[in-house]
Amino acid sequence: MLRGSFSSIREAFGKTLVSLGEKDKDIMVITADVGDSSRASYFRERFPDRYFNVGISEQDMVNFAAGLSAVGKKPVVVGFAMFLMRAWEQMRNSIGRMNLNVKVFVTHSGYSDSGDGSSHQALEDIALMRVIPNFKVVVPADAAEVERSMEVVMNDKGPLYYRMGRDYSPPITSTLDYKFEIGKAYVIKEGDDLAIMGAGVVLWDALKAAEELERMGISTAVINVPSIKPIDSSTIEYFARKTGRVLTVEEHSVYGGVGSAIAEVVVKTYPVPIRFIGATTFGRSARSQRELLDYYGITAKNIVNASLELIK
Amino acid sequence: MEKGGSDGIPISLEEINKLKEISNRARRNVIKMQFYDQSIHVGSSLSSIEILTALMFKVIRYSSDPLNRDWLILSKGHAAPALYALLHEKGLIPEEELWKIQDIAGVLQGHPETFIPGVDMSTGSLGQGLSFGIGVATGIKMAKGTGRVFVIMGDGEQDEGEIWEAMTHAVVRNVDNLVAIIEMNGFQLDASTKEVKPKDFLPEVWRAVGWKVFHCDGHDVASIISTVSEAVNARKPSVIFAETKRGKGFPPIEDTKRQRTVPDVARQFLLNS
Repeated sequence: MLRGSFSSIREAFGKTLVSLGEKDKDIMVITADVGDSSRASYFRERFPDRYFNVGISEQDMVNFAAGLSAVGKKPVVVGFAMFLMRAWEQMRNSIGRMNLNVKVFVTHSGYSDSGDGSSHQALEDIALMRVIPNFKVVVPADAAEVERSMEVVMNDKGPLYYRMGRDYSPPITSTLDYKFEIGKAYVIKEGDDLAIMGAGVVLWDALKAAEELERMGISTAVINVPSIKPIDSSTIEYFARKTGRVLTVEEHSVYGGVGSAIAEVVVKTYPVPIRFIGATTFGRSARSQRELLDYYGITAKNIVNASLELIK
Repeated sequence: MEKGGSDGIPISLEEINKLKEISNRARRNVIKMQFYDQSIHVGSSLSSIEILTALMFKVIRYSSDPLNRDWLILSKGHAAPALYALLHEKGLIPEEELWKIQDIAGVLQGHPETFIPGVDMSTGSLGQGLSFGIGVATGIKMAKGTGRVFVIMGDGEQDEGEIWEAMTHAVVRNVDNLVAIIEMNGFQLDASTKEVKPKDFLPEVWRAVGWKVFHCDGHDVASIISTVSEAVNARKPSVIFAETKRGKGFPPIEDTKRQRTVPDVARQFLLNS
């Protein structure tokens, strides 16, 4: 299934949400006053009766959605990643504990809200969400994967956290042909000497790094791990065994995030050396997400350097 | 569906006496539960007995259809022993389970969980029941169901920020099928509400936000039932401020911040009363 209608993550989200709403009348969209910024507003325009802006009230939003799901609706909670964390306890104690069918779709994660600075840049949310029992966590790589995965996600039953950025979406999966499944990792590029694994838009940097490494004679695999929980243990183990070295990359703190989740699998199945590329502290303001990724060293160059260290 | 008995129908003396008997048995069972577990919130539970009795035995219509039945959300989840004692009166929880409250081998948790028969929402973290209730009430209204939602909160619980978020939201949704009940027992965990954070302004605030505000005696089943029947017909979100006492009917702790006493004192009380 090739996908490539959108070049912006949130555009892909907003438009795909409308098309899912056409098919399923139980889908309700709930936002805390970020309809326009998240593009949930497209759903509001098409289905005003199934769209609820609760105001700037994330805690209430989460429990309101929990209540809707208790009477059989399919609520989609939409907010900024950072401010959903303010309702972490509600997600844990209501949605998670009662195992309710609520989908939490966040935008503006990572450095994507570049201008607003560190108050708006969620670099901890994957760590926080993957520890909640019953919650699944999905991090799409690009706009094409958003378009490809949303229906699968909506048809899954139970709590799920879906993490997106804003517009920045370098092409990663648009030319690939695969069917998205929760719990699966996907090989974007084969390789024998080293496996780079990760999730999100930074996989583009991983692919650039792999090209550079190939030029140096290092055969490098790149694995897209959009499903952080449940995670595809067998693919991760397979590549740990095959290459003997793993490097993880994420637009998130290296503490507790994508890299940690992958490392947990590696140490349990086939322990090999691992390096982690990601954030280590708060972000800051910049003119673009790309600038911030470069500033904090989540770049092809750094991936190459860390890879060379792993190889020697 | 069982017809709600309260709507506009006067309650007979006989019925009131029957409800009082149920309350008395539930009250004794809550006091007795502390023989088995020393950490349950007896005082907060005794504050809720009559409200739960009136709702569960006179107001709430039970059914397996989530859209055409009433929902009971105990947002002040620490009063779980009272809910369990009344679920036992309903025949949903066997007596031997009451004595296994908080036991690792029992089903009754320290705070309500939906895996316990008769529990509509897992609670325990304060301030979350009203938002959930608004979601349920909105879903019911969208489906044109007849179900109503009752949310029981504490006065201390009103300190939570989410209450403000939900209180203002309910008015926007116009959930006229939801009744919030706030128990004004005057105590929160550390001290009296006066000492911690005064609550006298609350009815004015709820009214100003757009709720229909009622008051009742939270230990008088007739007062509770007649007020609830007015509230369900108010055509807007309504809130009942119920005057209650922490530890009501158990003199060693009544109207104090103490949640419980030593088992011997409780045993003596049960023998003498």
